[in-house]
Amino acid sequence: MPKCTINGQEVEVKAGATIMDAFYQLGMKEKIAHYCYHPSLSIAGVCRLCMVEIEGNPRLQIACNTVVTEGMKVDNNSAKVNEAVKWGMDFHLINHPLDCPICDQAGECGLQDQYMAYGKYEPEMAERKVKKRKVVDLGPRVVLDSERCVLCSRCVRFTEEVTKTNELGIFNRGDRSEIGTFEDRPLDNHYSVNTVDICPVGALTSKDFRFRQRVWLLKNAESICTGCSTGCNVNVFFNKEGVFRLKPLYNEKVNGYWMCDTGRDTYKPINRDARLLDARLSFGGDKAQAKVEYMIPLMGAKKAAEWVREAKAANNAKSVALVLTGQYSSEEYESIVSTFKADVGTDQIFHWVNNPESFESFDGLLFRGDRNPNTKGLLQTLQKHGVMDNTWKDLVAGLESGTIQTLVVAGPLDFSVFPDLQEKLALFAKAKRLVWLSSGKSELVDASSITTVQIPMRTHVEKHGTYVNHSGIAQSVKPALSVVAKAMTLSEVADVIAGRNVKREEASSPIGKRAQNEFTTQRGAL
Amino acid sequence: MFQLSEEGKEFVKKQLARYEQKESAIIPSLYRVQDENNGWVSPEAVDHLSQLMDIPTARIQEVLKFYTMFNTEPRGKYHVQVCTTLSCGMLGGRELCSTLMKEHGVHKHGEVSKDGKFSFSHVECLGSCDTAPVMQINREPYLESLTEEKALKILKDLK
Repeated sequence: MPKCTINGQEVEVKAGATIMDAFYQLGMKEKIAHYCYHPSLSIAGVCRLCMVEIEGNPRLQIACNTVVTEGMKVDNNSAKVNEAVKWGMDFHLINHPLDCPICDQAGECGLQDQYMAYGKYEPEMAERKVKKRKVVDLGPRVVLDSERCVLCSRCVRFTEEVTKTNELGIFNRGDRSEIGTFEDRPLDNHYSVNTVDICPVGALTSKDFRFRQRVWLLKNAESICTGCSTGCNVNVFFNKEGVFRLKPLYNEKVNGYWMCDTGRDTYKPINRDARLLDARLSFGGDKAQAKVEYMIPLMGAKKAAEWVREAKAANNAKSVALVLTGQYSSEEYESIVSTFKADVGTDQIFHWVNNPESFESFDGLLFRGDRNPNTKGLLQTLQKHGVMDNTWKDLVAGLESGTIQTLVVAGPLDFSVFPDLQEKLALFAKAKRLVWLSSGKSELVDASSITTVQIPMRTHVEKHGTYVNHSGIAQSVKPALSVVAKAMTLSEVADVIAGRNVKREEASSPIGKRAQNEFTTQRGAL
Repeated sequence: MFQLSEEGKEFVKKQLARYEQKESAIIPSLYRVQDENNGWVSPEAVDHLSQLMDIPTARIQEVLKFYTMFNTEPRGKYHVQVCTTLSCGMLGGRELCSTLMKEHGVHKHGEVSKDGKFSFSHVECLGSCDTAPVMQINREPYLESLTEEKALKILKDLK
């Protein structure tokens, strides 16, 4: 275990670790620029920005490819280093266009940060800039701007080493070098947007996020991706208009540095356009359109409680059944299942498996066929309450024989992962009354042929909760923003059904009071 | 669709077996493709080579685009490469090339003459400075100590 000093701080690193690893081990408290180095990709050593001065070594070395030796004294703040980095910067900017005002990367760009730290010089390059291709449609999700590229080759190494699809390459040579795909064939692997994340400049931008928001107008909060049972850790970028994008957050045990392209879309059902805003009571039949009542969510839940009470009064609690999808948090499952077992007095609790054919599939990297964030948590709760043995067949039989009359369905938060929605709704329509809990609006549910109350639910970014991923890792989330403030959680609905006082979870925002100017909190010191 | 001849395929396989890393076989294989495909490497040829060698197209394209001796556009039957580096340049390499181009009605580098016979390009030092100016046709031996008359006659004599 060699020891070294980084800018005067002692660090002990693993044998064979590089100076860059030592910087990472210090948590980047000592800043070092690095465009081509990425902790989970191979070392390229091409950007030449991580120059450090090593005591006793007359020449500067690159931190990413120099192995730490015992007693090494490393300095990356010396005048010599600053001079070298400044020049490195100047070379990177020779052919870089002045695109910042229209570049999506502005605000989180390596070159901008670097210029503020080391630049502020009079440029000494008299040559004309080399013009390269702009707005190249690289694939279904990525746009390339060759001029902005600094040829760090991170994206090339990503397709080579992580996805092993090898679409990208660096073509031509010298100052005409540019990244691209062979014959402009699409970059359409399932992890393509990661290349946008690792691009230190604005060369690769996401089609979905492009021009929709300046990054300094967004706040971010940590959460998880609910797109499948892997539960990748993500940063949710949002402002008062809603969520704009997700980016992966490093978690060694879950997702490493990456997330899949399907997961990137999981913010869409969170936004207001896709949401159910009020509780909605409809009576089915031909005149369905004419007889729809809208009410606040709490009243909708009270309606559901009333139906359950009626069933209990008729001494027929078993005619109430609960159907659960793997889309909610463990706390919510615990609350609603125990309420149904103890307060309602029914053990008719069923697990809705949305895509049984591909449920077990796995793409080898991150993406799993079980498109629910918390199937494991649901199964744990069902096991705990001894209702694991209820099969879907029991539900079908119960509905067909008419023993099940009131159905409470904790439905999908994301409709896109429920290809069987229509088929299942047709089955549920065999009951007399349907309580439909979901964060999203769906025309299929609106057209329900039986008496239905829809109650809007909160999404995972609007509540506290724990999600257990496929391998049993429990991850908790905190509320980041509030999109539909009146929406409820499953626990709150359970409280209403049981007749308990509802403890409303405070809709919170990381900036605390709304009165504070939204955009000044992260501006930094002048 | 371009396909290498059976001997060509055999050649590529031999090259693959020859090197520790199979990427090393890309250059000799590209030369072979270029020889069999009228002097240039088409995208289909890269696809074919990629399948044959089991190397991704992007890796082959990187090599192909890096080296100027591989042509990525159709060339004439005789691709005339005139050296314009120092000695050849001082002894009229550029002028020689433009004379030849004018003679065959070609206006820019890479363009193919109407009869499909000639295309021209400048190249960097061919390494025969003592016999400047020098040119090379396809991958044949150098033609040295040229004058305009000499060069014109050489091209005229080509069938």
